Amino acid sequence: MARAADGIEVEGTVIECLRNATFRVELQNGHKVLAHISGKIRKNYIKILPYDRVLVELSPYDLNRGRILFRYRT
Amino acid sequence: MNSAHLSSGMGEHAVVITRVAERQWHAVEDDRVVGRGDTARRPDGRIFLSVDAWHDAVFDQLADAMLADLPKPLYTVVDEADLDLTSNWERAGFTTRRREWEYLVPTDPRVTGLGSVSPPSGVTMVAVGEAEEGPLRELDRVIRHEVEATVGWQEMPAEVLPRPDGATLLDPSKYAVAAQSDEYVGLVRVGPVIRQPRIGLIAVRSDQHRRGIARALLAHVLGSLHRCGIETASADVNESNKGAMALFEGVGARRASSNLELVLR
Repeated sequence: MARAADGIEVEGTVIECLRNATFRVELQNGHKVLAHISGKIRKNYIKILPYDRVLVELSPYDLNRGRILFRYRT
Repeated sequence: MNSAHLSSGMGEHAVVITRVAERQWHAVEDDRVVGRGDTARRPDGRIFLSVDAWHDAVFDQLADAMLADLPKPLYTVVDEADLDLTSNWERAGFTTRRREWEYLVPTDPRVTGLGSVSPPSGVTMVAVGEAEEGPLRELDRVIRHEVEATVGWQEMPAEVLPRPDGATLLDPSKYAVAAQSDEYVGLVRVGPVIRQPRIGLIAVRSDQHRRGIARALLAHVLGSLHRCGIETASADVNESNKGAMALFEGVGARRASSNLELVLR
């Protein structure tokens, strides 16, 4: 788990695509969060699918929520 | 660039909006970045915005700062199912310009009905990765000129936008083509996304339309994917492109989601 200057970033795996453009992501420590995709990913039409490995920034206000910043090539 | 743009209270702490780079804004609260705004200029010159914020109030402040600094028109893309984000942009004055449907396309010929589809007489299919670069570039150039002269680039997906200098970067390994005599007359681009390849573009030269070449190209690539064990591909289609929608729906593709392109004029 890295403490970036602007948030806590963790790797995880997408386990479910939900309604309202959200995803359930299981983090490396087993914790599950609800995550939206970042604007940059959306602008670049990058598709997020179950089993994708992703980098998630956790909300500083609610550690059960996050934002997908990056999709790793697997 | 490091100009404090504005600040206002959110709860107990002030949020300060700062343009930290030519294309980047930050919302900072207690020395912590709680929101970001970015811009990207597409090859066709249009500026697309994105804002990531944990609270609507911060979104509004970032959007206000960016809109004050940037020339209009401005664009953004949202997943239509993301009602909160769509609402945020509408609050900033953006309206819907167009909708793109994401189709999930089955590959099984028993489902698509494409198993018996053959290319029209005199046309042969060249498999993905086997196209010759020279004729492929020539076909790409012809098709891009035709797009420019008809629907225009603003109606095309981002991935097939023209390069500013007119030069296109083609990766022949991602294309299957339809060949006739000694030239190529149609192409399909297949993005090698693992588990769900992406059909990025199907295009046929205008003087070869209505011969069934696009359908034959689709049959060719979907059949190849099926033989590789891939059950589904995806494709984004502009809602105004009735021909493309009919092509995909005719092979059993179903709409899975939609993206809205929003504009502030």
